[in-house]
Amino acid sequence: MVVLKMKTISLKVNGITKEITVEDNELLLNVLREKLGITSVKAACWRGECGLCTVLLDGIPVKSCMTLAVETDGKEVITAEGLYSDERAKKLMESFVKHGAMQCGFCTPAFVVTSHYVLTKNPEVDGEELKKELNGVICRCGTYYQIYEAVKDAEKYYKKETKS
Amino acid sequence: MSFTTPYFTLPKFTYFKPKKLEDALSLLRQYKGKAKVMAGGIMLVNLMKERQIFPEYVIDIKGIDELKKISKTENGIKIGSAVTAIELQNSLIVRDNLPALAKAASYMGDRTLQHTVTIGGNISVGMPSTDGLPALMSMDSLLRIKSQDGERTIPASELVIGLGRTSLKDDEMITEIIVPYSSGLKGTYLKLINASEVAIATVAVSALLKERKLSVVIGAIAPRPYYFDHKSLQWKWEASLSENLKNASEIIGSNVKPMSDAVASSEYRKEVSKVLAVRALKEVFGGA
Repeated sequence: MVVLKMKTISLKVNGITKEITVEDNELLLNVLREKLGITSVKAACWRGECGLCTVLLDGIPVKSCMTLAVETDGKEVITAEGLYSDERAKKLMESFVKHGAMQCGFCTPAFVVTSHYVLTKNPEVDGEELKKELNGVICRCGTYYQIYEAVKDAEKYYKKETKS
Repeated sequence: MSFTTPYFTLPKFTYFKPKKLEDALSLLRQYKGKAKVMAGGIMLVNLMKERQIFPEYVIDIKGIDELKKISKTENGIKIGSAVTAIELQNSLIVRDNLPALAKAASYMGDRTLQHTVTIGGNISVGMPSTDGLPALMSMDSLLRIKSQDGERTIPASELVIGLGRTSLKDDEMITEIIVPYSSGLKGTYLKLINASEVAIATVAVSALLKERKLSVVIGAIAPRPYYFDHKSLQWKWEASLSENLKNASEIIGSNVKPMSDAVASSEYRKEVSKVLAVRALKEVFGGA
């Protein structure tokens, strides 16, 4: 017999710390979308393949459909909405628009979040390495090349930040 | 990994996140048979979503610091079982001394998942498509397995006993991987991926050369990886590389009995095994 216990976790979401009551078997994806209404985190394959539910957990990209909500107690989650307060990420998003790096736009938040992580880690990322870094997210429209160009173009904003 | 449509929710379970290894082992004993260990959790979460397993308790070992260490001694390199694939690739100890393992880690799922998957989880699921096991077997690695009663050490080649089955008992877990070499290894890991699948190996080959010791491991073609060393390959150190390669390819071809499944046929896997083994051997012998 499994005795269900509700747990209260403290989760910092896009800069705001929240106390959320969750069950042990709840997925982070469901908590973000349904309990917190953060809809840039998309739900698609539900088994860790498509990467559209990618969020930054303590700064590291994870697939939220494969992450238990209870695991994230005391941690910080950043989604595409939260990146809007970051000037560099704002430029990155503008670069996505400038290069037309989307058709339907369903995968865009995940690509923005993942490429923000890549550029923060290394603004001078090698082209082939960048393609490898982004291989966890799938775009069904096939705008990969435009995404690649958009991220490459946004490198300069991240370089400036590291110098100052 | 199977191809059924997953449920969007998980079955109900109770979650524990112990900070100490002793606590994890005592929980495993207390809920023997009803508990599952979770490290990265990718496979565990997927199997639960597909309703293939229903653990009543899930024991998360990510909070245990001693399982996340990589250290080098004169007698070899020790890797904690909860070390992630990204940590393996970024670790200078692994990159400089265990090239086959660093390369295998770069194939464990896609780049985002590599932040999550762990070496212990990758091998202990017991699936043929594991990337870690062929690499570890080619390096004659040992696995340290602990339970509340004590510990035992087994060769990596004795872990998997069948499709999805391992020699781990219900209350045991892998805590450490010991590679008995600390330097001077030449190794590589090659993998063929069917274009229609994501990151699931059709054939994976790991090769290792250390002075006059050679080994080739072929994974993903049968429940257990095939292990060949210089003796079983009848390697002649004096003869030319091309002659040896031809001979080795024939021996591998006549000894492996690959399975047929949705990913590839037995005949195809056998041919690819031979080709990849020759490529891997060429690579460890330095081109040619």
